[in-house]
Amino acid sequence: MTTLTTDRLTLRVPTLDDFDPLAAFYASDRSRFVGGPQTAELTWRTLATEVGHWHLRGYGRFAVEERSSGKLCGIIGPFYPLGFPEPELGWDLMNGFEGKGYATEAARAVRDYVYGTLGMTTLISLIAHGNTGSEAVARRLGCVEEPEVFTHERWGELRVFRHPSPGELA
Amino acid sequence: MDIPTLETDRLILRAPSMDDLDREILFYTGDHAKFVGGAKGPFACAQGILARIGHWHVKGFGAFHLEEKETGLCMGRVGPIEPYGWPEREIGWSLMPDATGKGYATEAALRIRDYVYDDLGWTTVISLIDPENTASARVATRLGARFEKTFEHVEFGTMYIWRHPGPGERP
Repeated sequence: MTTLTTDRLTLRVPTLDDFDPLAAFYASDRSRFVGGPQTAELTWRTLATEVGHWHLRGYGRFAVEERSSGKLCGIIGPFYPLGFPEPELGWDLMNGFEGKGYATEAARAVRDYVYGTLGMTTLISLIAHGNTGSEAVARRLGCVEEPEVFTHERWGELRVFRHPSPGELA
Repeated sequence: MDIPTLETDRLILRAPSMDDLDREILFYTGDHAKFVGGAKGPFACAQGILARIGHWHVKGFGAFHLEEKETGLCMGRVGPIEPYGWPEREIGWSLMPDATGKGYATEAALRIRDYVYDDLGWTTVISLIDPENTASARVATRLGARFEKTFEHVEFGTMYIWRHPGPGERP
């Protein structure tokens, strides 16, 4: 399946080898804006769900590897589960990989892939109230917040950030 | 990988599909799912189907959805699984509320046990059953499995391990 490469990152389909860093992220308070903290058992299911999404939709969130270390530094990509208004570009950085610009770098590559290869013409990112780190990434990516919030069964009320369209990026 | 399709007299055993979502929601409504994690809303049901598909791809095996030949409806899921914290690979089964009492779990599990022994080459397999789930214990007994010991899952607590007859001991 699909692999993308940036200056510092490799983006590929998740595997079971990603479980330990993902479980550490979901065990920590850093996951509080994306449904966590949650147990290791639930995180195993979350990982299987990410892979299942790839096979059902034909796309999904990438496991992002830091090229210099080979370590998992994020889960970033298009995500379109039941109840979402449209596909969303999400970014979760694993513990210890904040502040390096990785979310922005990966999301930019993924957005190019979503527009260029998947042929989508618009994209949102959904961000929980108080998640200032994620909001800063959205701003760096040129997103503009929409007036209406979106409420989801699991994640509650989320702010909607609209990405520049393919035409606006060209 | 391509998820295989198997067949029995009354059932098609096939890949989990989002087309089964309404049936999945029916399963997780009320207390019917009390032995397998409890009630869930529609979103969690959809994520469960995705996770089941993902299990196939990350492990190379996974649960089948049981399609009743007569109606085309999903009647439950049965299959080899090994999620987080499991002591070893098991064959698990859950039937929809309107699918019990017809022998479907036994029929599907027998076919799937042949599949894991003959096609996947396994030499042993267990089923993990909640101590209070007497209906499931009866299915295990019909399949020739025997209670082996208790198992403490780190998150789910006490479960019973039932060991199936090996490939050469099948009735």
